[in-house]
Amino acid sequence: MAFPRRALRSDADERLLVEAAQADPARFAELYELHFERVYAFIAGRVRHRQEAEDLTSQVFQRALENLRRFEWRGAPFAAWLLRIAANAMTDRWQSVAREQDDPPPEPPDQAAAEDIERRALLFELVEALAPDQQRVIVARFVEEKSIRDIAQELGRTEGAVKQLQLRALANLRVRMQRGRPKPKPGTPGGRRANA
Amino acid sequence: MPKPSLAERLDQTIEAMLGHRQPPSAVGQVDELVRLAAELRDLPRKEFKQYLKSDLQRRATMTTTTVNPIREGFHTLTPYLVVKGAAEVLEFVKKAFGAQEMMRFKLPDGSIMHSEFRVGDSMVELADANEQHPAIPATVHLKVEDVDAAYQRALQAGGTSLYPPTDQEYGERDGGVKDPGGNHWYIGSPRGESHFLPDQRNVTPYMHVSGAARCIEFLKRAFAAEEVTRHQTPDGFVHHAKMRIGDSVLEMGEAHGEFPAMPLNLHLYVPETDALYRRALAAGAASVREPRDEPYGDRSAGVRDPFGNIWWIATHIKDVH
Repeated sequence: MAFPRRALRSDADERLLVEAAQADPARFAELYELHFERVYAFIAGRVRHRQEAEDLTSQVFQRALENLRRFEWRGAPFAAWLLRIAANAMTDRWQSVAREQDDPPPEPPDQAAAEDIERRALLFELVEALAPDQQRVIVARFVEEKSIRDIAQELGRTEGAVKQLQLRALANLRVRMQRGRPKPKPGTPGGRRANA
Repeated sequence: MPKPSLAERLDQTIEAMLGHRQPPSAVGQVDELVRLAAELRDLPRKEFKQYLKSDLQRRATMTTTTVNPIREGFHTLTPYLVVKGAAEVLEFVKKAFGAQEMMRFKLPDGSIMHSEFRVGDSMVELADANEQHPAIPATVHLKVEDVDAAYQRALQAGGTSLYPPTDQEYGERDGGVKDPGGNHWYIGSPRGESHFLPDQRNVTPYMHVSGAARCIEFLKRAFAAEEVTRHQTPDGFVHHAKMRIGDSVLEMGEAHGEFPAMPLNLHLYVPETDALYRRALAAGAASVREPRDEPYGDRSAGVRDPFGNIWWIATHIKDVH
């Protein structure tokens, strides 16, 4: 199966990427590819609407790009820095709009929360590695919230076939989630740290 | 009654989950899959991920370069003439209007992929039509010193007369000529109390449109156009209107009789292509091409408005030499 590219990165690779992007902001795209799902998973798990998750995710990466030169490598992974920006962005939002709501202000993730973010980020990445028809069913069903009937019509399949695709897609994701990310190649230091 | 299949039972539970209802009992086997399904409701949209990436790439480019968002020599609006026989049109404008050829890119078959010429203080772009970009001859209002001389030269250069130079009641002496590519040139010079705006340049794109009043409203919503003047009959027939977009003027008149609708192909330089592209789509334009960075240093996107005009929205992001 096609593992997402980012799973093959080591901390050392990532450090080089950060330094490259600090020297040339055009290289920031690679860091973005590496961390998009993680940041999105963190935010989406703490806000109520998709639009809000997208706005905040945009803000996080825009702020990260603007402040990239100020990031210093002190052993803490780049992801931790991004999630700290995300927590701050959510706090700002909370202070400006959510006073009347009962939600507590968001905190940077603790160890347990960080593991949950990693797990969901991996799930999001794995969807992209599904066969195209399975991927389409997952997106139509859960992102676009379409009915089985509408999806069947769109794909020119029977409703039964779409339900089978849905089952196969979820079963594949479960198996691949259990496998997790592949282990780092020998000779690369550390491998990705899951915690932030 | 036969036992429902696993796929069926899973979907019943998912259906309940999506509708925030109590799932049917005995879910056992499908439990874990439904948990994944619940998490997938937070799956990011692919389009969003892609959009944010290009937005960041654009920002990254902007942090490294500070260039004028309008390419040197250009203004907000530039007519882009797409015709059959662009080379002939290029010769025509040189002979008739003293145009200066600035640039010409040819395809291996000899056709012109892109060219630029300057008339006085204005740029015009010109290319040969092809399958992807069918001919869309334009109407151009050209301000000159001597209408009669320019009109004569235009006829000698291969143009055909639309109407001879005439002193018009709206404060202009003007004559009309059609060039070998089918573009209409209104060659004019202010007379007395003229309708020309003081800062109106040599070249002004002229839009003959069906539904001018609606088009004006559209241009305000889509491109932040500002209405400067409008002459219309009590029943809403717009004889002539002038709009300002950025630093440029656009003229417009209701299509009728001998002036049928003639959509324009326009190059529109703005500070933020992506934002204006989205604004135009929200106002009712259709996408012709999504925003992208071009090798010649512009970020550009295309839309077709509900009146058939094509707008190439562009931001100059870096100088390419």
